[in-house]
Amino acid sequence: MSKNKTPEEIVKYFKEEFKTKIKSAEIKKRTTGSKKKEFVNIWIRIDKSIFKPFVKHLCDLTFPHLAVVSGTDLGKTIELNYHFSIYFGQNLKEISLNMGVEIPKSKPEIETVCDLIPGALITEREKQEMLGVKVIGIPDSRRLFLPDDFPDDVYPWRKDEKGLEKYIKNLHQGAKK
Amino acid sequence: MAEKQTTKTTYQIPIGPIHPALKEPVMFEFEIDGERIIDVDVQLGHVHRAIEWTGMRRNPIQIIYLAERICGICSFVHPFAFVRAVENACDIEVPERANYLRVVHGELERIASHMLWAGVAAHEIGFDSVLYLTWEMREKVLDLTEILTGNRVTKAILTIGGIRRDITEDLKPKIAETMKYLKDNYKHLAHVYLDDKTFKLRSQNCGILTYEDALKLCAVGPTTRASGVKKDVRVDQPYAAYSDFDMDYMTPDKLTGEVNGDVYDRIITRLLEVKQSIELIEQAVDQLPAGDLVSEPKIPKLLNYIKKTAGEGIGRDEAPRGEVIHYVKFDGEHEEPYTWKVRASTYNNILPWIPMLKGEQIADIPIVAASTDPCMSCTNRVTVIDQNKRYMLDKEQLHKLSVQKTRRLMK
Amino acid sequence: MAKGLPKSFKKALWVYNCNSGSCNGCDIEIIAALCPRYDVERFGIKLVGSPRHADVLLITGPVTRQQADRVKRVYEQMPDPKAVIAIGNCGNTGDVFYESYNLVGPINEILPVDVHVIGCPPRPEAIINGVAKAWTKLETLEAKK
Repeated sequence: MSKNKTPEEIVKYFKEEFKTKIKSAEIKKRTTGSKKKEFVNIWIRIDKSIFKPFVKHLCDLTFPHLAVVSGTDLGKTIELNYHFSIYFGQNLKEISLNMGVEIPKSKPEIETVCDLIPGALITEREKQEMLGVKVIGIPDSRRLFLPDDFPDDVYPWRKDEKGLEKYIKNLHQGAKK
Repeated sequence: MAEKQTTKTTYQIPIGPIHPALKEPVMFEFEIDGERIIDVDVQLGHVHRAIEWTGMRRNPIQIIYLAERICGICSFVHPFAFVRAVENACDIEVPERANYLRVVHGELERIASHMLWAGVAAHEIGFDSVLYLTWEMREKVLDLTEILTGNRVTKAILTIGGIRRDITEDLKPKIAETMKYLKDNYKHLAHVYLDDKTFKLRSQNCGILTYEDALKLCAVGPTTRASGVKKDVRVDQPYAAYSDFDMDYMTPDKLTGEVNGDVYDRIITRLLEVKQSIELIEQAVDQLPAGDLVSEPKIPKLLNYIKKTAGEGIGRDEAPRGEVIHYVKFDGEHEEPYTWKVRASTYNNILPWIPMLKGEQIADIPIVAASTDPCMSCTNRVTVIDQNKRYMLDKEQLHKLSVQKTRRLMK
Repeated sequence: MAKGLPKSFKKALWVYNCNSGSCNGCDIEIIAALCPRYDVERFGIKLVGSPRHADVLLITGPVTRQQADRVKRVYEQMPDPKAVIAIGNCGNTGDVFYESYNLVGPINEILPVDVHVIGCPPRPEAIINGVAKAWTKLETLEAKK
């Protein structure tokens, strides 16, 4: 088993492979507790074209734990953040790696990572229905949280979706009557 | 070669704080052959209250109270992860005393949650008297919670940058008394769950999750530790004051020496964690450092600071069920977060149900599903009740089957 | 509790619990009411598994869009005389979930509620108090017949 890389070495590992396709990489360190142990968060933003090779490269380094994929509507693009964590199992050495990839709203598609990490199925299904992202190659694309009779093109997390307004109900006004 | 006759049947299974009358809908679709399960399909029945959407319209202090009501049993961990995410996004420091107090409350909730689960698991096997025994022990823990925070279930003790109530010197004897009560009864509890012949017969070699499956499906919490994967946010990454204590991953080989990944191992993992929690609380109360409770006591000033800071952050912590992660993004113009993502621990523990249930008998479904300690309201879903399936076995019949199997084994 | 009540109710109350999308806090306190500390079974109150056997319906949670139909069906399956108790702040006013796209109103817009038990979650003592009030109401209804 190879030795753990430091956060700086990890960023270098990816930059060497993908060079300019890595848009930005930031290492944030904070400390906690009386013994001032530090915990590390790495934030990397990548270009959409190297998305799948990036994940494969990460799995080659060490099998990660995919916590969740969070999605943000940034106006013209949608940013998906994949929150990984690596080096678990060795006391106090885990590093959180957050990978952000932007996809255009005009063509919101991304490849699945379920073939590399089967546990990603649930979070990918959620992105499909909440943001309207199409995940190519997903093994199961049924709805997860929203009811089946919820209309097809209304995506609750989008900031521009006006169709959601008519579903909102204010419960306190109901109680006042 | 004749084709095996399989029937596709749907069972609507209630998961959650379980009692004969409680229903929390989750739909399993099984393909069965006689009594054995061939294939499983999970359709999540949900309790979707649009919490993340609502949260993006409220300021961070209001979101703490919203996050508390995501789930009644995990009502400390969701605000905790959210508060950590905000502190990491906006670089807010937390005083040391607040960190130690957060550890005390987190571990107290873990004990209460594991006691609740222990009662539920015993009820699924058919021992109702054990349910009453464990819940009586849990009442003592809830008494302590009430003295420390003011309420039994939703505590409202966290705030951004610290904690709201202190543990003063006159409260310490009460904590010591409750810990002593738990330690005295711990042996009895362990004896009931680990040494009883029927418990062993029902739970050993049942609902096995292998090491590889647990790793690949990203399972979290006692479910994955029982299969030998060492994942525990408290030991992996320093947060609050956990890094000051000497902690280790609680895997079943600490007690029995081997790891099987079955239901019995999950019982062992949770009992070991209760012991670990009791020790952590005692250590934290002993070593409580002096200091402030909050780094910024004036809330308008705090909210103003958050409004001006742009940034993003994640907060992870270890709930009784596994890892909980919140992601928060501020845009520097509003105090409401631009994005708030919640991922509760049961989310990741749903896919492991499929390999666990394949090859098992129908009567084992309740205990296997309950052994992962699922909490459906944490997972935020919408109820889907599908009417056009062939026949439905409801929870009463499933529970009866499970109890009948126990009575058969007891003879 | 039994003072001055007409003795027309022959059996003890059977209760059915329906969760319409709650956080489980109230449901846990309902089960805690059965445990030896509060021991509601000494009054003869029992939790049953089907609405057809129940006299009292306990509803928790702000009603989500899907559960609205189910809650109505459960109410219709219960035989008369019946009482409905809305437990917890969510069912009574909406509490923190006052604005959402998936919730349809407090419970009293869907069913006629007899007793409101407030709290987040209400203590087991408050729940037992609520059930006792429903019992009084049912006894009065029975006596009027």
